[in-house]
Amino acid sequence: MKKIVSLVLALMMLATMGAAMGEGKTTLTVACWDLATTPYYAAIENGYEAANSNVDIVWVDLASQDYNIKASTMLSGKDTTDLYCVKELSDMQNWANEGHIIALDDYVAQKAYDLSKYAGMDACYVSVADGKQYALPFRADFWVLFYNKTLFDAAGIDYPTNDMTWDEYADLAVELKGDGVYGTHYHTWLSAAVNWAVCDGVNTLADGDYDDLAYFYELLQGLEDAGACMTYDELKASGLHYSGAFAQGNIAMLPMGYWYASTMCGYIKDGTASFDWGMTAVPHLDGVAAGSSFGSPTGIAVSAYSANQEAACDFAAWMCSEDGAKAIAATGTRPAYVSEEVAAVMASAEFMPTDETSLAALLPTAIALEWPIGEGVNEIKTAVNEEHTLIMTREISIEEGIANMEERAADYVK
Amino acid sequence: MTAGRYANKRKMSRLERKNTLIAYSFLAPNFLGFLIFTLVPVVFSVVLSLLDWGGGQNAEWVGLGNFSFIFDEFSFQDSNLGIALKNTVFYTAMTVPLTIVCALGLAMILNRGVKGANIFRAALFFPYVASLVAICVCWNFLLMKDGIVNQILGAFGIVMDKSWTSSRDLAIWAIIIVSTWKNAGYYMVMYLAGLQGVPAELYEAATMDGANAWQKFRKVTLPMLTPTTFFCSIMMVISCFKIYDVVAIMTQGGPGRSTKMLVTYIFELSFGGEGIATSAQYGVASAVAMVLLVIVLLVTFIQFRGEKKWVNYM
Repeated sequence: MKKIVSLVLALMMLATMGAAMGEGKTTLTVACWDLATTPYYAAIENGYEAANSNVDIVWVDLASQDYNIKASTMLSGKDTTDLYCVKELSDMQNWANEGHIIALDDYVAQKAYDLSKYAGMDACYVSVADGKQYALPFRADFWVLFYNKTLFDAAGIDYPTNDMTWDEYADLAVELKGDGVYGTHYHTWLSAAVNWAVCDGVNTLADGDYDDLAYFYELLQGLEDAGACMTYDELKASGLHYSGAFAQGNIAMLPMGYWYASTMCGYIKDGTASFDWGMTAVPHLDGVAAGSSFGSPTGIAVSAYSANQEAACDFAAWMCSEDGAKAIAATGTRPAYVSEEVAAVMASAEFMPTDETSLAALLPTAIALEWPIGEGVNEIKTAVNEEHTLIMTREISIEEGIANMEERAADYVK
Repeated sequence: MTAGRYANKRKMSRLERKNTLIAYSFLAPNFLGFLIFTLVPVVFSVVLSLLDWGGGQNAEWVGLGNFSFIFDEFSFQDSNLGIALKNTVFYTAMTVPLTIVCALGLAMILNRGVKGANIFRAALFFPYVASLVAICVCWNFLLMKDGIVNQILGAFGIVMDKSWTSSRDLAIWAIIIVSTWKNAGYYMVMYLAGLQGVPAELYEAATMDGANAWQKFRKVTLPMLTPTTFFCSIMMVISCFKIYDVVAIMTQGGPGRSTKMLVTYIFELSFGGEGIATSAQYGVASAVAMVLLVIVLLVTFIQFRGEKKWVNYM
């Protein structure tokens, strides 16, 4: 009896091995988030598999808000997932320090890979600790100003331009305010409210000096008081998300990351939103070049626990190459790799606005990093965010909040 | 004595061994689960509090370094641990008595045999079994600037100019109210059981002695319910110190740090918070968890020490 059982088991093992060898396909698993609502994953998968028929891409979908936690936990547990999308730069630094992801320098050197096409975004993925390249950027989002053309037309006001100061923008928002119509909309994030101060390329949010935020807090609170936008209190308590808010069609302007463009295309396609929309560069301060914005890249890293590191590197490289960029751009998302060909593909994505202003907004003059990377930045981020909530709920004055930010950040500023 | 020792040393018979193994195999699923999912993590977390570990291969022994880090410049106004501690203690000190009063009051009303008591019992128990996220979102709406609660207060001349969760002073009360509302029904059921265990003779005797309703409550009901109260208060204190979910959904610890609790702080240190990337300071987070453990142990110990003084077992 035992003999028969062991024989059967051995045969089964052989059979499965044979089946696996017969296929001869490498399967690469890639951790990502929002798989169902983000069209570019499928575009990347199809594009890569078409060019590499011996590789099978399998996405591992993690919940967006828990991505950093989940991915970090998987890496700590030496999960065999081959590649990880990098959502937060600081996570990549942690992963690199802990030896979870491999340095790509050798691969880049061996393949003579060109890093110059990322407009500097590749530098974000260099480890502060050892100066090696631990990930490549495939997406680089920056902030633009979305606007509702239908509301502008109804109010008989000219569309905003790519060269507009913050004061002009605020006046416009007040002018557009109407019955049930808001001139503009601020999501509750710190970045939506005051991150604009870093657009000059000189200030950062981790430098310990927050006087430059006062102007933006005053502007925002002025707009709240004038009824030109919903209040922070209201948004926080109701949990209203910006995407649904703007799609309702009663908000004239929305400063938001470029990623929202593909969401809007989707909304127009499925009928959630039914109005004309466009994009301009975000407003700028006097003395800062028009078209200056801030943003963050999204990258891809290869796990140190992957059994197919070579194949994984190839996939990562393709995802961030011009071919990968075209696949991503076709879905209305901005890839990190920038070239004229890629820009042309971006503009031709389905349901994207085609006016000249919107097209010009696709090419910002400068992109500052939303948050710099480095030691102590996480602690500063926590402190600044906490004081931000106090300022926005008007529990403390702007001056008091900024003084608190400076005092609390001082412990960590290097 | 000798017989006992002999019995212990005696070899088990085949049948006995088989029976013992079967008994162990019945225990195994539960015990293994406890071992893997509770005991190992607890021991791991104790060790972790003495290490500098970010989740990877390098873990460095830092002794009490994590503790000196969290107690560095300790103050109830400025340091994260101090604020979290202050908020958690305040929350517990308010929620426990409030829940006990509500639960006892509701139980006494229902015990009187109100019409439709079953329906009320089910309705009052409902918050305990309903989805917490749904409850918290609803309460956020009720406590909004122009929400029902503020409108009612307005009718009494108390003007509120913002949402409860947007105010440094009221945000923690929003958490307390929601927790009380959610848990009162559960503890009410405990009290109902306790009330039904109070012998009717005691009330009869009290009536014969001419006691009024208040005196009966003070001298009969309350003392007879002390075992229930003791049990409820211990369970509640422990769960209050571990408060996380309501805060995470309603206020995310804000505004500022006004509702930052010990567990919220632990989460923030290990996994990050809203708008914050993973900090992965598992060592420091475990050190805070140890502080929480010591506090809960201490409070429970004190409660048990006081048990003899005020709890009556008849």
